[in-house]
Amino acid sequence: MSQMHVMGGAMTVFGRHPGVMAPELAQRAILDAVADAGLQLADIQAVYCANVLGGMILGQVILRDLGLQGIPVYNIENACASGATAVHLAKHALLAQQYERVLVFGIEQLTALGGGTIPMQRNDRMTDLYATAGMVLPAVYAMRGTRFIHERGAKPADLAAVAVKNRHHGSLNPFAQQRSEVTLDEVMNSRMIADPLTLLQCCPSQVDGAAALVLGTQPGPHAKDVKVLGSIIVSGLREHGDDDILDAEITARAARLAYEQAGVAPTDLGVVELHDAFTIAELLYYEALGLAAPGDAVSLLHSGATALGGRVPVNPSGGLLAKGHPLGATGVAQMVELMWQLQGRAGDRQAGTPLLGLAQCTGGGIAGVDHAASAVHILGV
Amino acid sequence: MSLSTPVWAATTPPSLRASRRENSGEIFFPSVPAESPLSHQFVDTQLAVEGQVYSFTIMHPSPKSGLPPFVLAYVDLPGPVRLFGRLIDSPARPVIGERCRVIADDTYGYLFQSLEARA
Repeated sequence: MSQMHVMGGAMTVFGRHPGVMAPELAQRAILDAVADAGLQLADIQAVYCANVLGGMILGQVILRDLGLQGIPVYNIENACASGATAVHLAKHALLAQQYERVLVFGIEQLTALGGGTIPMQRNDRMTDLYATAGMVLPAVYAMRGTRFIHERGAKPADLAAVAVKNRHHGSLNPFAQQRSEVTLDEVMNSRMIADPLTLLQCCPSQVDGAAALVLGTQPGPHAKDVKVLGSIIVSGLREHGDDDILDAEITARAARLAYEQAGVAPTDLGVVELHDAFTIAELLYYEALGLAAPGDAVSLLHSGATALGGRVPVNPSGGLLAKGHPLGATGVAQMVELMWQLQGRAGDRQAGTPLLGLAQCTGGGIAGVDHAASAVHILGV
Repeated sequence: MSLSTPVWAATTPPSLRASRRENSGEIFFPSVPAESPLSHQFVDTQLAVEGQVYSFTIMHPSPKSGLPPFVLAYVDLPGPVRLFGRLIDSPARPVIGERCRVIADDTYGYLFQSLEARA
């Protein structure tokens, strides 16, 4: 085989799941994904579990009662790119003919942390120093926002417009945590978090969720066979003293490699799920992914091309901003959404009849690196 | 000083302690510790303390915390090297390009103090 097929997938509703522990949450997505692939659990030969903050051997904890007969379980952490990294590693094994059918799932339960921003890890001198001063990811994105407004002549409302679009999309998605439409005024007037980013421009921090995919060397039972045409993981480079923080270099590099691997161009895409943890991120990633020429991100947004009904809808699921961002689950959930979109199964948020979709996750805060990891996947039918 | 990482050199006037990679000239701040297996690639150097704000944000802690807003910034110093930290004493809302200097602080190791108020 030369390609990996998405045989089936599923996800839980992203939101607060009080009192639900990890096995019950993730098993729902796993069982639904296996059924969607037309398989039984006994058909699965290996499992990849993506998670960031749930503790050791979470995969085995979740799988214990499913009767999987002691097959290999790989636990994977790569910050916000954990889920996408798990898919990428599954590809290695499938292409190497180690397995024919594997299960990849991601899970995170952020409500257990009590809310607020995810703290930086302090296992590095530079990160410890900067975290002591107050470095958190909302601040990093906010400083990009300030610089973007300064250099591009943009307005804070241009950033806020991303939240209006994605929260409209989320209102159509029964799997999204936040399903309320919002106006530009409501976004702008919501509580300031990290200037220029207001509350409604930040992905919700109190969210739980799980998502699962069955990947294999043969097509699944669905009429439209979704294939993974490109799968790239890269890590961040050490920043220099005069780097441009608007240049999302790690993401642009991952995207360029993914387009090369898939043999497609940005203009071929029919749908995109990207890492809009904060509104400014979506604008920067339009350019990093080649959806907009350098300097044209705001124009692309205001053209309507990235809204449902537009040329290339971006984040029809509502994105991280509305759907929620349970870290380890996000990358898998993005690809579940692409599978549904490519197969015409996305309900009220269906983005036309796309033939190609792209999923991008970039995350992980380390001082001195723009991000730790970036993942870009291109799926097609 | 509760910080584990020393940030100040023992110089008069004050300067920041940093490391310069000999084969590239790249400046590392905070400095590379002596116990690092890479330390032989570096020489000690000092950073001048006056620079300019490259970007900033005003953080608004949760109302439940009772904490007032504060400013975080990237500041570019000659080197080039970019530092992250807290910016104080701006005469109004900070601006990109604002001149500032690095001063010692017991809690954070250093702060950026705006020089615009003295203009």
